[in-house]
Amino acid sequence: MSSILQELESQISGLKTTTTKSNVGIVREIGDGVARIEGLSDVMLNELIEFPGGLYGLALNLEEGEVGCILLGDEKGVVEGVEVKTTGRLLSVPVGKGLLGRVVDTLGAPVDGKGPITASAIYPVEKVAPGIIKRKSVSQPVQTGIMAIDAMIPVGRGQRELIIGDRATGKTTIAIDTIINQARINKANEGKPGFRPLYSIYVGIGQKNSNIARSLAVLEAAGAMPYTIIVSAPASDTATNQYLAPFSGAAMGEWFMDNGMDALIVYDDLSKHAVAYRQVSLLLKRPSGREAYPGDVFYLHSRLLERSARVDEKNGNGSVTALPIIETQAGDVSAYIPTNVISITDGQIYLETDLFYQGIRPAVSVGLSVSRVGSAAQIKAVKQVAGKIKGDLAQFRELAAFAQFGSDLDAKTKSILDRGARIVELFKQVQYNPLATEIMVTTLWSMQNGFMDDVAVDKIKDFQLKLQDYFSTRKDAVLAKIRDKGAIDDDITADLKAALGEFKNSYR
Amino acid sequence: MKLDKDARKLTKGLFQMSLTDGRLDRKKVTAVVQKVIDAKPRSFTGILKEYQRLVRLEVAKHHAIIESATALDKATTDQLLANLRAKYGGDLTTEFKTKPELLGGLRIKIGSDVFDSSVRERLSRLETQLAQA
Repeated sequence: MSSILQELESQISGLKTTTTKSNVGIVREIGDGVARIEGLSDVMLNELIEFPGGLYGLALNLEEGEVGCILLGDEKGVVEGVEVKTTGRLLSVPVGKGLLGRVVDTLGAPVDGKGPITASAIYPVEKVAPGIIKRKSVSQPVQTGIMAIDAMIPVGRGQRELIIGDRATGKTTIAIDTIINQARINKANEGKPGFRPLYSIYVGIGQKNSNIARSLAVLEAAGAMPYTIIVSAPASDTATNQYLAPFSGAAMGEWFMDNGMDALIVYDDLSKHAVAYRQVSLLLKRPSGREAYPGDVFYLHSRLLERSARVDEKNGNGSVTALPIIETQAGDVSAYIPTNVISITDGQIYLETDLFYQGIRPAVSVGLSVSRVGSAAQIKAVKQVAGKIKGDLAQFRELAAFAQFGSDLDAKTKSILDRGARIVELFKQVQYNPLATEIMVTTLWSMQNGFMDDVAVDKIKDFQLKLQDYFSTRKDAVLAKIRDKGAIDDDITADLKAALGEFKNSYR
Repeated sequence: MKLDKDARKLTKGLFQMSLTDGRLDRKKVTAVVQKVIDAKPRSFTGILKEYQRLVRLEVAKHHAIIESATALDKATTDQLLANLRAKYGGDLTTEFKTKPELLGGLRIKIGSDVFDSSVRERLSRLETQLAQA
């Protein structure tokens, strides 16, 4: 008991209670989450302003006669005439591994009811992106587990890859599949020397609460939550919170980057983020531009996405990979916000509604999707089998119009069409079921080496599933060899040939 | 934005005209106000209200409100005035108020700057510091 008293005494004596000098202002107008304040002569841009009752605001408009401030919370109890003061601080959020497995709001406060969060540090929400010298080029892969993406549009650690498409085309599903796959890989390789786990951050901006709850349930069922942070700013949240949520998520990702770890951050979605920023800007009476968006809507997204990078050993030795999501209207990628974000990111995965309804899911348009990092982010094994696939599919698409002529074509055209149809079938994948890399390599190797040419197109999926089953249960040794070596050499080729021969004999 | 740009510019100009050596000149203020009332330019009530606001803010910058829990004796007030005048200029106007809620100590407000050493403020700061510890 006496030790507690001693501790308390030392705590009290250690506290400083000198005269404070503060800078105050009076609220002159309050409404719609925006306060106009008179006074505050020493306020700085983006500074945190303290309102009575523990509420904080951000000073965004420094005008001649007044300060425009957005409120980070409920404006109950704030009326015209209350005194507010500056804090001299920037808006910051708790960061660290203590946030993994939790659902937090924009300010880092938990909303999942699992108790308080122990943060390793507090990082500012707005931060300048790493400069040119601090960066390292992208060379490590992010295995999404989706064959269409890992084979033809590979994503690397530190890259920004945009997922763009109409509503209900599977954009969020690609992101969730990637997160699930990272968790699987992390779990399988835990403790192995030289392995770098990839932690995920999912930022839901302006989403329906039910959607975020559903994504959370899927991630929990797949056991991915211990490696994931969910930052939730749903549609019921204020526009200010929706505007700041991606920056909070980026700050959390930066902690991983600064501490030698890799992070993946999904911004779902940036279209709603731009809309929230438009609302905040219009309420602050800032001049509007095209489609009523403020003039700096490009800067909004560019400064957010530039914070995702790969840094060299001296500056943290980590990376943040960004998967921003943009929703287009009626497939119009030449609208204002989509063109902005396309020009910022290092490539896009373009999802088409037509493909979706034809049954090709994930509905990735191979022709329009690109990854500007490309094969630098692929392990050798995948490069060996997937190198030619994009070209094969391109030829297939070109000749697809002649497919209706069936028997009137020469042998070469027929073979291209047959091979193409089978590849398209192969790339169809069920949602929330990412594939392991070695299984992908095996499947693609068997396709590229003609083992599927005699299987009917509508039986390809069945063949593939049985093949994957066969390899995971009976030929795990070959898979292990591919996993360890990371490339297909003559030894593995021989093993694969033998295994496939066996499988084909027994396949019905 | 209740006033248009031209009216705002005009009001700012009128305010600048009412200053002598950077300080408000009472005679000039009265003259300006009378001139505006006589001339009645467009939205002159708005102009006068905005002018009043600018004058009010300028006056507040050179006016100190000193709040204490109990009434201060002459020696303390003289010392305070001397210190404040040294910092904010010889023409500082002062106002003394007693506010028992402060519990003790002083709270001095000049324009937007507040020097708070009252017991109430120290207690609330202690509270936040202990809550964070």
